[in-house]
Amino acid sequence: MNPVAVIGTGQTRHTRARDDASQADLVREAASAALTDAGLRPDDLDAVIISNMELFEGRLHPELWVGEAAYATGRPCLKVATGGTSGTSACIAGFHQAGSGAFDLVLVVGFEKHSEGHTQTGMALTDPFWDRAVASGAVGNFALSISQYMAARGVTERQAAQVAVKARHNAARNPHAHLQMPDLTVEQVLESRMLAHPLRMLDMCPQSDGAAAIVVASAGATRDMATPAAWVHAASTRHDQPYLGDLDRRMATMEALRSAAAEAYSKAAIGDPLSDIDVAEIYEPVTYAELAWYEALGFCPEGEAGRLIDEGITSMEGTLPVNPSGGVLSTNPVGASGVIRVAEAAAQLMGRAGEHQVPGAATALATGYGVYAWSDVIVMRSEEP
Amino acid sequence: MTGSVSAEMDLTWRYAASAPMRRFLEGVAEGRLEAGRCTGCGRRYLPPRPFCGRCRLAITEWVPVTDRGVLEAWTLVHLPIRDGRSGEMRPSPYGMGLIRLDGADTTLNHYLQLPDGVEPRIGDRVQAVWRPERRGAMDDILHFEVIR
Ligand SMILES: [Zn+2]
Repeated sequence: MNPVAVIGTGQTRHTRARDDASQADLVREAASAALTDAGLRPDDLDAVIISNMELFEGRLHPELWVGEAAYATGRPCLKVATGGTSGTSACIAGFHQAGSGAFDLVLVVGFEKHSEGHTQTGMALTDPFWDRAVASGAVGNFALSISQYMAARGVTERQAAQVAVKARHNAARNPHAHLQMPDLTVEQVLESRMLAHPLRMLDMCPQSDGAAAIVVASAGATRDMATPAAWVHAASTRHDQPYLGDLDRRMATMEALRSAAAEAYSKAAIGDPLSDIDVAEIYEPVTYAELAWYEALGFCPEGEAGRLIDEGITSMEGTLPVNPSGGVLSTNPVGASGVIRVAEAAAQLMGRAGEHQVPGAATALATGYGVYAWSDVIVMRSEEP
Repeated sequence: MTGSVSAEMDLTWRYAASAPMRRFLEGVAEGRLEAGRCTGCGRRYLPPRPFCGRCRLAITEWVPVTDRGVLEAWTLVHLPIRDGRSGEMRPSPYGMGLIRLDGADTTLNHYLQLPDGVEPRIGDRVQAVWRPERRGAMDDILHFEVIR
């Protein structure tokens, strides 16, 4: 693949219910912001990729209904849907398109408007004979994995609660974020409603309405532009086997993420992730997952994730700030969430992250997560490869 | 303006099971469990399927699996959830577990019946409780009970 860069990002305001906007309005809001950020006009685009999990809204063919809002009329347009990784997969598809020489400027837009549909019902539509009867949705399945992870690694409910506090405090400095809770305390997290033992309300991501977009440019296209660029140094994606019972000790092992990270780190010459990466935007749908991903992403040896959060190493002031945006724990429009990870990582490298900027960030990590079986790992730098 | 549209839809799915799943479900109707075994890596798959994703080989062997196993993970769900098969709300709280049946290498996600005051432990032995009238579906097993 030839070098490619993200040259513009845009996001909507994310909230529980964006009643002021249709699905198409959200897509246009993010797409238009990304074009403005890149200093481009709609006619400059060569192709468009849309990311959305249509079962959540219950409206078929989102690429048709929101395509014109994404400036896709009259040009190549694809939809990508791979669960929680939809957004990062769509970005990687955009990297491949611009890196193949097929297109110079590709717009990637992800959106979800959970308030308009039935997310729980969409998630229950798994294999009708095998696991639909026991489909307990994301919460019950996370709780099962967490019981294994806690037993394997000895992390505590208090350490998970610290992740919740870090995320919502960071979100308070991000004007786009859904859950902004600058005064949240560990005690409040530990006292929040029990959803599925040991998982509490404030351990979980919200369901948000929102959209996010990036503009991907070929190396050639960036030559003519004055805008700063976040260069893609590695983009790896992995799918594992289909049934959750195939994936051994899901959260503790997370083989798809480990495998994608190993490949991406090798391509991007990252030897020690904790010191080589300046900022990470990782897809953590639940507090305990962030701790598990620290290990899977090599931020620490196995079993030391709790120490990382205890010592503030992943806080805004730490060695490796993780999710300055507030992460998925603060904002989760599923089809957009992966695009948000990439957009936030790119904005950090371009020095455009505002109040949640990590000063001087030169190497950024973005990841996507989908039901333990799907993982995307992206490394970007301010420097061209 | 925000409005809502309510519609009741009758959704009936057809299901082509594939030969391994068909044999498996016919076994379930008789209270018998079997896993498919990959001749490449030896992994015993439940649900059985035509091929091993790791070895990319066709799975042709069958091995017996018992209706007892080890609890690998558990939770107590407090959220009321609509059962994806029956469409009925499932009363909460209810137990769930990941169970590695004796004879299988994959785990089964299923309901756990917990006696009052008993907190399950990872590593507990569990036993399937079957529906009296079986019909060849996974919910012919109603739930698993912890054996102490
Ligand atoms: Zn095999």
